[in-house]
Parts: sequence; structure tokens; C-alpha cells
Amino acid sequence: MTTLPESGFLLLSGLLLGVGVFGLLTRRNFILVLIALEIAMNATILNFVYFAAFAPHAAGLSGQAIAVVLIGFAATEVAVGLAIVLGLNRLKGTIDVAQGNLLKE
Amino acid sequence: MVAFSSFVGPFVPELLLLGGMLLVLLLDVLGVRRNETLATVALTALALAFLSILGDLGFAPLGVLATVGPGALNVAPAAGAAPLYHLTSFGLIFQAIFLVAALLVVLASSSRPSGERGAPIFYGLLLLATVGMLLVAVASDLIFLLLAVEVVGVPSYLLVAYRRGEARSMEAAMKFFIVGALSTVLSFYGASLLFGAYGSTNLFVIHAAAASVGTPVLVLVGYGFLLAGLAFKVTLVPFHAWAVDVYDGAPTDVTAFLAGGTKKIGLFAFFLVFLGPVLLVHPATAGASPFGGGPLDLGPTLSIALGVIAVLTMTVGNLLALLQKEMKRMLAYSSISQAGYMLIGVTIGTAPALTGATLQILAHVLMKGGAFLVVAGVAGLGIGPLIDDWKGLGVRRPLLGAAFALMLLSLAGVPLTIGFVSKFVLFSSAVQAQGWFIWLAVAGLLNSALSVFYYARVLKVMYFDRTDPIAAIEAPPASGLGAGGLGYGRAAAIGLAAVLIVGIGLYPQPILGAIQSAAQHFLLTGV
Repeated sequence: MTTLPESGFLLLSGLLLGVGVFGLLTRRNFILVLIALEIAMNATILNFVYFAAFAPHAAGLSGQAIAVVLIGFAATEVAVGLAIVLGLNRLKGTIDVAQGNLLKE
Repeated sequence: MVAFSSFVGPFVPELLLLGGMLLVLLLDVLGVRRNETLATVALTALALAFLSILGDLGFAPLGVLATVGPGALNVAPAAGAAPLYHLTSFGLIFQAIFLVAALLVVLASSSRPSGERGAPIFYGLLLLATVGMLLVAVASDLIFLLLAVEVVGVPSYLLVAYRRGEARSMEAAMKFFIVGALSTVLSFYGASLLFGAYGSTNLFVIHAAAASVGTPVLVLVGYGFLLAGLAFKVTLVPFHAWAVDVYDGAPTDVTAFLAGGTKKIGLFAFFLVFLGPVLLVHPATAGASPFGGGPLDLGPTLSIALGVIAVLTMTVGNLLALLQKEMKRMLAYSSISQAGYMLIGVTIGTAPALTGATLQILAHVLMKGGAFLVVAGVAGLGIGPLIDDWKGLGVRRPLLGAAFALMLLSLAGVPLTIGFVSKFVLFSSAVQAQGWFIWLAVAGLLNSALSVFYYARVLKVMYFDRTDPIAAIEAPPASGLGAGGLGYGRAAAIGLAAVLIVGIGLYPQPILGAIQSAAQHFLLTGV
């Protein structure tokens, strides 16, 4: 294993992940939740691209390929999220996550 | 040509299901939206895939249907190779279990009213999710595995929301989506850290490196993220809170699919990702495993973490189930506690423990999947969601009551049912493994005793509570379905689950033997 100048970089991606997860858990507007999801996914994608740059040739290529696949996947997930937002909005006239209170005991 | 067939061969079941899904969507476009027609298409695709997998497993009468050569199973890849998928008989057994779950749900759904809206969406998404479940069982690469998990996850968010007019379902879908997205993000992040540490996402490469390179901090953190991400999928404590709301709010047939089917893929992912490292330590397998003799710090840490989570999950799930007044929520909490039993298998990591966990998973498909199908049917008879609403049901509907009682007894682990066999194998494997694993068996037994309380309460309500005279006079709404308002398909699915629960409980040897030998092969390669 080669030594990577990883500490600074991992701090950045960890911070991105932290912002994303924090947003996922605390935002009340569903659209902002989706944006938080994108931010958090990008932390992962950034990691793959970064580690790929330091990996040996073949592993580097697979790291970049994984990054591209994950970009596509993140878009899929957000599309499904938007479909749920549309359904909610049509049904209840709000996309406030905290308004959901039908499922409490 | 040879290369083509050897590439397609392992994926015939998946292709059959994809074909079925496309046919369902095509029929939708052509204006054929009758529930029965679409259910028949989905049932046919699932049944063909199931038969093909049985053929691959070497079930003699179906040898013609085998699409994987007998020499292609359980072959360890060449040293240094990094295949995306790896065919094992263990994986094929899991594919068969997943298909049983999907088959039961589709069979029951076939008796829903034929004019119901959303039927094409339901069957299409269910088939797509099942494709993802089958792919999980052959994965040998972290990214392949996590993407396959998402092929299950993304359709299941939409399955929860497929009745767009129901606010409760939409709200459940919203919660499910947020939690699912969180779990996805965490597990992919963990995979990226492992990629950084080992330069590969292949599980063979990662397990081999874990045995020789040692454990940098990056790897521990990576495994931690993977553990958290996958724990959400399996509803392990403390990542369980979402499950009850989602199971409660989803249409009950979908709940049966979530609890009986999609939750289990997370457990198989646990086997793939964590068994390799856990095996690093285990005294019983150290000699037999190719990972034996590696540096010992990753294994014990993971094993203890998994053990603690397993005990917490059983206990919290059972305690909260005791407090529930609604049938669906009670079953959802009991589903959480059952996940704790299954996790014991990964924690111990011996062949008997894996066998017990696999049998427990099959048992859970039949018991919990079946129980939720009963709940859906009972709701269709106009009986309310509270446990107390089930008063006297066992007397008024003897067959339905008996089937449900059987499922509850099996969940509690009463002898002569599959639930007893699986718990017996699992807990005795914990005792055999010695060391602190014995405490897992103790915790499991105490929890089984605890769970008897809430199952027995339902039985008491069903059989011994006096029926409210007014409720008894009220006739069940004329749903126009056969089998006394349940529908023939649902009655068949419930009956099939009940028969299998008793059948395997009385005569477990063939299935037990097949799982045991598959588990031994699986442990040799660790993926």
C-alpha cells in the first residue's frame, strides 16, 4: 500500500458526508432532503476519484468507472425521490417532512 | 457461442423475471390491466425462475432445466482473480428463498379486486425488486453488491407508495425513502474507504488483503460505515426505528414482501461482507479457512460489535412488541427481534451457525410473510387493525385462525414447527462454538421465552375472548371473493405457508442437509 496524503482529503470528503447526512436528518423541506442526499453521494464519488488517482493503473480505471456509475445511480435515486415528492404534494398540498404524523401511536 | 452461453447461463432466472416485468409493462400500455392477468404473468415468471434455480441446485427431476453446469458451482476463483459474481450453492439456496417470498406475495395478491388501480406498477416493481434480490445472492464485488441492494431498494420505495391516493402509504414511502437514502450513502461511503485502503472493491481481494496487510484505521472506519448502512436495511437496533412506521403504513401485501423478502438481502450482504473478516479469528474455523493466521484485530472487533447488536436487536424488538396494541405494529417489532436471531449466524461464523441463520431466514419468510398476508386478508374482511378487533376470529374462521395460530407458534419457536428447528440449530451452534458465544444462546433463549407472552396474548384474544355481540352480528363486507371473502389465491398462499411451516418442522432433514453442505462450501471461499 502506498502512503497517500489522505488526511486532508478525507477531511474534505468526511465534511461533505457530514453536511449531507445532517441535511438528510434535519431538513424539513423534502427538496432540501434530496439536495442533501446528492451532497452525501458526492462525498463517496469524490473518494473513489481521489483514491483512483493514487491506485495502480487497473484499480485506478475501475475507481473512475465506479465514480461514473455512482453519478448515474445518484440521479436515479433522486428521480424516485422527486416522484414521491410529487405524489405527496398532490395528496397533502405540502412537502414538509415534519407534517407526516399519521403513523404515530 | 460457448462464451455467450456461459455468461448468460447463471443469469437465466434474472432474465426470466426481467422478461416478465417487461411483459407486465407492455400489457399495461396495451390496456390490459386486470389484476388476475398480470398476476398470472408474474406468477409464471417467478415459478419458472424458481424451477430453474432448483435445477441448478441439482434437484434431480429438474436436471433438464439446469442452466449452470454441475462443475460451475462453488468453484473458488484463481488466485488474484477479481470476478464480479461468484456462483455458490449457498447463494442459489438464498435465491430460492427470495423467490418463495415473492411467489407467496404474488399468489396472495392475485386475489385482489380485478379493477384495482396500480396493478401493473405493483407487479412490475415487485418483479424488478426480485431481480435485485437474486443478483445480491451471486455478488462477489462490493459495488456489484451495493448496486444490487439498490435495485431492490429503489423499487421498494415506490412499491410502498403504489397506492397514490392513500396518505398513510405516501407518508410511509417518504420515511422509507429518507432512511433508505441514508443507508445507501453510508454503505457506499464505507465501500469507498475500503477501496482506498486495498485498491479494489472485490470481496475476494479485500478478504485476502485483510488477512495479510492488517487493519489500518481506514479499514475499521470503512467497515463501520458498511455495518451502519447495511444495519438499516436489516432493521438492526439502533437503526430500526423506521421499520415499524413503514411496515405499518405500507399496503399490507407490500409489508409482507418487505418483511419476508427484501429485508433478507441485507442479511445475505452481511454474510458476504463480514464473514470473511469475522473468520479471521474464529478458533473453530481458523484451521479450515484460508484466512486463518492473519493479524487478529479486525475480526474480534467486528465479531463483538455484531454480537452486541444481535442481542440488543432481539431484546429491544421483543420488549417493544409487548407494548403494541395494533397487530401490524406488533408483527413489525417481532420482525425486528427476529433479525437479531439471524445475525447470530454471522457473529459466530461456523457452518452450523450459518445453517441455523439460513433456516431462520427461510422460517421467517414463511411465518412473517404468511402472517402479514393473513393480516391483509383479515383487513379485507372488515376487521380493524387492533389486536382486540381479532376477538373470536379463531372460532368464527377456524381454518384461517388455525393457520395464523400456527405462524405465531412457529415465531415463538414451539416444537414441530420450522421456527423451532431453526432456533434449535442456531442456539446449539452458539453453544458448540464455546467462549462468549454461549451468551448469545442464553440471550436468544431468554428472548424466545419473552416473545411467547405477546404471541400467546394474540392467541388468547383469537380463541378465548368472548366475541362482542354487536361485532358478531355485523356481516363481513361482500368483497365478492371466493374462499369466504379471502380470495382463492390468498387462501392458497396462506395454506402453502402453513403447510411448509409444519412440513419442514416435522421433517427438516433434506433441507437441513442441503443448507449445511452449501454453508460449508461457502465458508471455504468466504464470498
